Amino acid sequence: MQIEVKCSCGAENCPEWAIVELQGVVEVQPSHRDGIQNLEIGRLCRPSSDEKYTLTIGYHELSGTKVTLKKPLAVLKKVKRTDDGDQGDGSSSGKVELDVVGVIRHKILFKTRPKALISRKFSTNSHFLNHSSSSICSFIVCVDFFIDLNRRTS
Amino acid sequence: MEQPHSILTGAEAVLNVQPNSSLSVTYDTLFGSSDNHMLLELHDEILPDLLHQSITLRGEPNEDVVLCTLSKTYAVKFVGTSNSVFLIPPSRHQFTQNGQQSVASVIEISPGNMELIETAPRLDRLKTLLAQNPYSSMEALQADDMEDDSKESKMGLCTWHDLVNKIQASDDELRNGLEALSAVEIDGFWRIVDEKYMGEILTMLLQNSILNDWSLDKLDEDEVVTSLVTDGFPHKLAYHCLHVYGSEVDEARGKSCVWTLDARRVCVHFARQVLGVGKMKLERFMEMWLKKIPDGMNANLEMLEGEVLTEKVGIEMWVRGFSVASLPSNPAERFSVLFRERPKWESKDLQHYIRDLKVPGLSSEGLLLKYTRRTQPTQDAEPVFTAR
Repeated sequence: MQIEVKCSCGAENCPEWAIVELQGVVEVQPSHRDGIQNLEIGRLCRPSSDEKYTLTIGYHELSGTKVTLKKPLAVLKKVKRTDDGDQGDGSSSGKVELDVVGVIRHKILFKTRPKALISRKFSTNSHFLNHSSSSICSFIVCVDFFIDLNRRTS
Repeated sequence: MEQPHSILTGAEAVLNVQPNSSLSVTYDTLFGSSDNHMLLELHDEILPDLLHQSITLRGEPNEDVVLCTLSKTYAVKFVGTSNSVFLIPPSRHQFTQNGQQSVASVIEISPGNMELIETAPRLDRLKTLLAQNPYSSMEALQADDMEDDSKESKMGLCTWHDLVNKIQASDDELRNGLEALSAVEIDGFWRIVDEKYMGEILTMLLQNSILNDWSLDKLDEDEVVTSLVTDGFPHKLAYHCLHVYGSEVDEARGKSCVWTLDARRVCVHFARQVLGVGKMKLERFMEMWLKKIPDGMNANLEMLEGEVLTEKVGIEMWVRGFSVASLPSNPAERFSVLFRERPKWESKDLQHYIRDLKVPGLSSEGLLLKYTRRTQPTQDAEPVFTAR
């Protein structure tokens, strides 16, 4: 089977997305676990004119920099198109396509050990940061990964 | 009312944080509610095809997926990370909603991204698919009788569209693969023609050349095709015969094309015919082979490199058919078959059986290094290759 990769936004108009990346996992306090939408994760600051950034999550402060990706990343979204003139086939007669919805050229990367800001008061202590060093794993992806994207890697 | 000055939000905010300023990073309203986005590493070389909507992912659901541009094939590898990668899209709203806070919202946490590794097209399947239903003389005869094209007879046959969906190769590589198999499109289906049938057409062509006193290196396309059609062969196959055994000569001046028969291809065909019965003594083979070669054509053993293997048995030289075209295109499988055929190979023979192997990033020396063990008994002796 074939899955077409389309770029509906057109060449130069591909919107630029951003990535903020940190080592470890951000965990939400149990009291806030239902409905984390719109919840603040933290604050991203640029203290000076240098390309240096801090990210404060809960009582941790991370230091990082803006990194230009060696190879830009395309952001793809799965799209299901139903064929015109569908003869009431009912079942998965839609065609799966991938649409490029954006491109990422830079990310803000935090890879230092977090600094604990224990002397400050935090009113919304809704997050704590579980810091760990990163590890990379890789495997070959099967075609049906693109069909059923509910599977997440662990 | 004051005009709200445009405060950046979303990805733009993150990428343009001004000195001495900060912004709030939040979970988006839609966080966790939609399908994951996929991140794909972009190589410069795939950009043009991407912008022309010429990139596709190909494969059966149970196969490893490949990404194809118009001319190349890439294996897709998912690289996961234990880092938290917060994906932030451009803002949906031009101005912020709550007062003057600059906010960037995270739509999801990406588990990793996909990398592309250039890879050889997977064309072995093409060979197997087309070999299931070779076009034979029987079918040609039946085609003449059939008025309607009944769908049942088309079972198991592949159109270009079918092939593109089944074979993990780019369009260009697929076309080259079909060319390499001497496949031909008949009634919209891609077919391999049964070797015996092709032989019949070639033999008839050669006979007609003698009857009409045609020069084998200046064959007139119209004349040849017309004569073969008169002899009962389909037009398409008559033309295909020229294509398989000859090459067009650039002299056509608005008239019928001129073709020249390729000596090597014709001689290889007859060698295969002779060795179809099995191995034989070299002397006997040469006798039979040379008898079949058309007048004016010169045949020599060098033409059969990569097509036959010779071996000394006792004091006699024997020869048997062993065609590189019949071997798998995957390097590991290829070497496995080669070493099963012969445990020890000399370079002068082996090179012809790996000359068509194309692995991006590996030269033929690299291939030998990777898949064989090289030994050289003495400094003067020829190096010998064995399985690893």
